[in-house]
Amino acid sequence: MMMGFRWRFISGSIVTLVSGVWAVMPVYADLQQLDDADLAGISGQSGITIDLDLEVGAKQLSYFEDGNGIHLEDFRIGTADAAQGAAGHVIKIDVEDDASLNLDFLVDNRRIEFQNVTLDGVAGRGMGGMFFDHSLDGYLRISSGGAISSAGTTFDTAFEVTNGRLGYRTNGNEVFLDDITMSVEALGITLDEVGGGLEFKVPRLTGSYEVGAIRYSNNPSNHGNSVDVDSGRLLPSYGSLSGDYDLSTQLNIVGGGRDGTEGFRLDNDTVINSANFIYSDDGNSLRFRDITGGYRFNDLRVDVTQDWQGRQALGLTLGSLEGDLAIGGIEMGSDGDSIGQVNLDFVFEDHVYNGQAYSNALYLQGGGHADAGPQGLRLAAEWSLRDADLAYTEDGNRVIFSGFQSWGRGDVTVNVTRDEVINGTEFFDGLRIGFEDLKAGYRINGLRVGDEDAPLQGGTELLLALGFYPSYEFDLDGHVTLGPGGAEGEGLTINSDIRIRNGKAAIIAGPYDEGNGEQAQKGLWISELDYDAHVRDMTVDVTEDGLAIIKGEAWSTMDVGNLRVGDKQSGKSFGRFVLQKYETGSSMTIKPGGAGAVCAGGMGSDPAACSGSGGVWEERGDEGVTIALKQIFAKAVSERRKNAFTWETNRRTSGGASVNGTGTQLVLNDIYTSDGGDFDGDGVDDNTFGIQTELSVDVYQTRVVKKSDGPDAQGVVGSRGDEKIMDASAAAGYRYVSSPSETQLKDRPLGFAVQARSRFKELSIGNIDLVHPVGGAQTAVYGVKMQNVDIKANLTATPIP
Amino acid sequence: MRWIKPTFMALGLAAFIAAPVSAELDRLSDEDLSDVSGQGGIYLSGDISINEEGGPIDNSYFGRCDDGSKKCGARFANQLKEGGGWMVLDEIRGNFAFEGLTLRVRSVDSGFGGDGEEFNGDVLEVGLPNVVRYNDVRFKIAASNQARPTAPGFQQTDIFSVQMQGDVIMEGNMLVFPTGNP
Repeated sequence: MMMGFRWRFISGSIVTLVSGVWAVMPVYADLQQLDDADLAGISGQSGITIDLDLEVGAKQLSYFEDGNGIHLEDFRIGTADAAQGAAGHVIKIDVEDDASLNLDFLVDNRRIEFQNVTLDGVAGRGMGGMFFDHSLDGYLRISSGGAISSAGTTFDTAFEVTNGRLGYRTNGNEVFLDDITMSVEALGITLDEVGGGLEFKVPRLTGSYEVGAIRYSNNPSNHGNSVDVDSGRLLPSYGSLSGDYDLSTQLNIVGGGRDGTEGFRLDNDTVINSANFIYSDDGNSLRFRDITGGYRFNDLRVDVTQDWQGRQALGLTLGSLEGDLAIGGIEMGSDGDSIGQVNLDFVFEDHVYNGQAYSNALYLQGGGHADAGPQGLRLAAEWSLRDADLAYTEDGNRVIFSGFQSWGRGDVTVNVTRDEVINGTEFFDGLRIGFEDLKAGYRINGLRVGDEDAPLQGGTELLLALGFYPSYEFDLDGHVTLGPGGAEGEGLTINSDIRIRNGKAAIIAGPYDEGNGEQAQKGLWISELDYDAHVRDMTVDVTEDGLAIIKGEAWSTMDVGNLRVGDKQSGKSFGRFVLQKYETGSSMTIKPGGAGAVCAGGMGSDPAACSGSGGVWEERGDEGVTIALKQIFAKAVSERRKNAFTWETNRRTSGGASVNGTGTQLVLNDIYTSDGGDFDGDGVDDNTFGIQTELSVDVYQTRVVKKSDGPDAQGVVGSRGDEKIMDASAAAGYRYVSSPSETQLKDRPLGFAVQARSRFKELSIGNIDLVHPVGGAQTAVYGVKMQNVDIKANLTATPIP
Repeated sequence: MRWIKPTFMALGLAAFIAAPVSAELDRLSDEDLSDVSGQGGIYLSGDISINEEGGPIDNSYFGRCDDGSKKCGARFANQLKEGGGWMVLDEIRGNFAFEGLTLRVRSVDSGFGGDGEEFNGDVLEVGLPNVVRYNDVRFKIAASNQARPTAPGFQQTDIFSVQMQGDVIMEGNMLVFPTGNP
């Protein structure tokens, strides 16, 4: 039997989905009969072949729930080649011998898009539009019988996506994944009715994908174009993506949201059997290899509702999310060297932090930043990461940052913006992620070394070497705008303005829970922190060496109201510290591989020479990470843009709080680097060398000796000079040994081993002043110059035994 | 082998413990610590070398250490009077190694001749390494008329040189008390 139809079909329908209602309007359809010439091109086969030119348009596609509506505005399915016109579809329908229905489909350059998303009761603001362009070639087989009953259905499908684009557009600017190709195979998908809802099971979902470029456009005339329609130039790119995956997953959907009687609930269990993810920038790649793990989310509710401030929103509220992720290798650079492996276990669920309850919810609203235009995304977000363990392993040595918690509440805005100033707000080219009154925090309970069953110990301060505080609470405002293009070609350009208030950051922190419930952390705290930081034209590129970050211009003021010892709020204070920084052309490169072979505590390029000088020869392996920094401190150009350090004490108090600027101050003013002369003859001292620092960080065993006789803080007895040797059979996980054997030396405790080298040609301080609140500033030192410095260090840092 | 008393290090730390912060060297036994559970803190060991082979400047004054005609150490100059000369630490070089420098926060509510009970608060404890090994650490103290030795008319008078070699015994802890008005 052969049949042929061509439909010009603009479809309208009203579909009840779970307990909400979708509505499409207006509706119109057109059916055309194929002529004989069209039919002549279709060969005689069994089944039905539908040749369909499809264009669907709807001014508004709406979903209503409990009387609240969310609307996709200007919804369209049609060709991706033009703003109007149909997309070609060829669908071959066959009924197989087993009564299954087989659909072979071929879709030519189709676009599915909506130009805005709006909510009832919110006038003039929308979330922005999305579009998805693609050609499809594949099949879908539908057969009766599910995983649970014969009333269910089984699906088998496989398809290829080519010519793909997936974009997000606000106020005429857009960011999109360009040139997407993808292959997907999912066999044996079952759909059953379970407990009044639907249960989808996907026993195996495999596929691979490539994204040729991630492009940005600030020209409103462009819409899903790889090339700017006015200049004819290729649009700038953030880079490209590729990867593959092998998953199995189950999804349950039932009616009933968190609020009211309508809405729906989702539960999911996904296992990642394997996956790889690669980000490429001008042919250089950052690779996350051999990813495995899984996640389960429980009781995710979707409602059209209101957030905690009574703002209309699409609400996603979560019962819990837990999972684990293992990344077998993080590779970068032309040689494919690895930083190491990362394992992450996490649980998001309701919890109380510092006496305040937090849950997990995301409320999507329209508008974005108030000055960016009517379109954008505002995410009223609340999160509660109750527990996470992050393990880092390199060359077989593992350190676990245990009991990581994070919580927060506030607004995150997303806009695609262009370089312009609107109502006094400066915007930049790129994807702008804004933060508004975001109150957040995190903390780490302690370290475990070796495995997750090892005893909890201190030492989270080791993270300071990587610029990460072990505990931090803050109020955050500002933005980070991710622009396209790096220092050359593809990459990222970052402009950012960040303001942190009421910050409390730990330099040293004890545990928040030693097994007897939550307790106040003791430590050394940067408290009453007010931090104001700005970055202009910072580029991020993946290069042959690794990840290269070049700051164009950066300035910041870190005003530490009190440096406290003990409790972060009530501990006694060393006073106020203010650090101002102003850098131009500073850079950082992150490279795979640590220090390699090291002579620790001595000098020598081989084991014999090292030992002869009193040092210890250490082979720290191929993995690890090396960070190369170049900090160029510029001379002061204004009171806001300069390098300076102030220590203030004896401030007057008002209302119980110290009043800044009323005490005595020690001021190191106008600190800057230089090459030591004007060598290019422009009348200004050259400043290209800066302070160059290279840090190689490894997780490595280190010698730790007992400093006095008797029991230590954990009650483990030893004598002065004994070595700490890890021993899983000991109650505390270690013991002290006076003369460890070669075997025991292999069980020395792990810590961070840092090989550092820091050099500068010249570092100057303009003047050092002592400032009295009444008498004013008196200069104590009229200038400092440090020249020709080259400092090398081999340091090992371990938790205190 | 020359031995340098701990008081030398105390002098070096003087800037760090300037008023209103007070400090006291106090050797804390492990028994004392046994009632202090789960404190944060780190244990540091390692070695630090300054201008082992020379610095990054190569000009008429500075060069590599195997070039006997040039200085290869670091230079630190400061001007204490406006328009005046410069006090200089010059040709700073050397290597030192230590094992077991600790840094943590400790509660003090007893001891110290009764002052601890009155203080009843937290302090920053720097646990001194038992031994610091100095290897050819040297510098010169000088007076100069210019900050940069390559400046026109540069003149410098070397006053004396210091060289340190051997082990320094540094036992106990340094406690930094936040006691003043912040």
